[in-house]
Amino acid sequence: MSDALVQISNAVIEGRVKDIPSLTNTALSSGLTAKEILDKGLMPGMDVIGAEFKKGKKFVPEVLLSARTMQASLGILKPLLAQAGEKMAGKVIIGTVKGDLHDIGKSLVGMMLEGAGFEVVDLGKDVPPEKFVDAVKKEKPNIVAMSALLTTTMRSMGHTMTALKEAGLREMVKIMIGGAPVTVDFAKQIGADGYAANAPAAVELAKKFINSN
Amino acid sequence: MPLYILACRVLQSMMEPYLRDTSIPVTFMEYGFHRTPQLMTPALQEQLDRITESSVFIIGYGLCGNGLAGLRAGRHTLIVPRVDDCITLLLGSYQSYITEFTAEPGTYYLTKGWLESGSHPLKEYRELLEKYDEETADWIIDEQYRNYKRVVLVAPNLEELDAYRHKAREVADFCTERWGYRYEERIGSDEFVKKLVTVAFQITESTDDFLVIPPGGEVKQEMFWR
Repeated sequence: MSDALVQISNAVIEGRVKDIPSLTNTALSSGLTAKEILDKGLMPGMDVIGAEFKKGKKFVPEVLLSARTMQASLGILKPLLAQAGEKMAGKVIIGTVKGDLHDIGKSLVGMMLEGAGFEVVDLGKDVPPEKFVDAVKKEKPNIVAMSALLTTTMRSMGHTMTALKEAGLREMVKIMIGGAPVTVDFAKQIGADGYAANAPAAVELAKKFINSN
Repeated sequence: MPLYILACRVLQSMMEPYLRDTSIPVTFMEYGFHRTPQLMTPALQEQLDRITESSVFIIGYGLCGNGLAGLRAGRHTLIVPRVDDCITLLLGSYQSYITEFTAEPGTYYLTKGWLESGSHPLKEYRELLEKYDEETADWIIDEQYRNYKRVVLVAPNLEELDAYRHKAREVADFCTERWGYRYEERIGSDEFVKKLVTVAFQITESTDDFLVIPPGGEVKQEMFWR
């Protein structure tokens, strides 16, 4: 892998926000495309930090700084990604479920989905089931992504699933869920289409949904 | 069958009055595991596995961010309070917790345990300032805590409330100045913990309030859902 991409990955892993604009610009002037920088520099960096966080080797502040670093790079890359005529991969509605005010992970996933070419409608935090239903009606997304950070609020995901079913919208969208306490078993139990353990995995899952259509 | 108690230190002061006249061996584990739930399971597993004789273990933990998920009973029987975390235990009942949660989902709870050795926004902010420049520390702490609306100090009795009010206020003042939190206090109840320590060892099947994990069984997240 090119040295510039390794440096970008490392900057993301170490959360060096200040270094990332020049590293991104250097990579671009060396001939790398925005997509290459995203897929082979930023994403692998987030993969590493996500895995370390799961293992308890990194903590929330470090993950936040990595996300901020990634965001700074994406700010430079986004217009280029659009310019390159990258087709919109699909539309995602994303939100943290009712009763839950944690939005860091959700926003990170939204940001990375955007980077991967998805159109993202972010409903914010503490989003009640009916708001998800209304948004699906209005936005007609391919995917609904829900986040919960508390074992007490995970159940709201099930309530949102039920609300979508009752509104006759369930079959129109793929549903993916995530958040620290969420598990693959829980996803199966409430009938979600998929679970992602971290932000890069969420992007992979979203891509898989679109490609399987 | 021998009886053991394996609990988080956060419950110590609530449990002790009920343990004075017993000879049940008690192990209180350090606070902190809630922040790293993935380290909680192996630490507790080690404690269980050390006892070679089949025993009943009263577990003074809730699901605790999935920290208890995956804990294997092995040769023992485990009695586990069916709660998400210690806040329900300190408030005294599941209903009390739901009442608080419904009133304000954005509640940051403080307890003796958190104030002494756990973590809270003020302590974290001070640590961030040691590691990062001020702008970065500000950004990190805001990202994490700006969405909460109130701080609630929970204590099992008035004495503990009085003893920790000063520390709690210091944290609350920081949060109020920064994010406009309001500060409240709750005297919990030792009802849940009392039942856990004094009668729960007799139950043989899971109830609304307690899970019974038989030998060979494993604690699973879905067991806690109500």
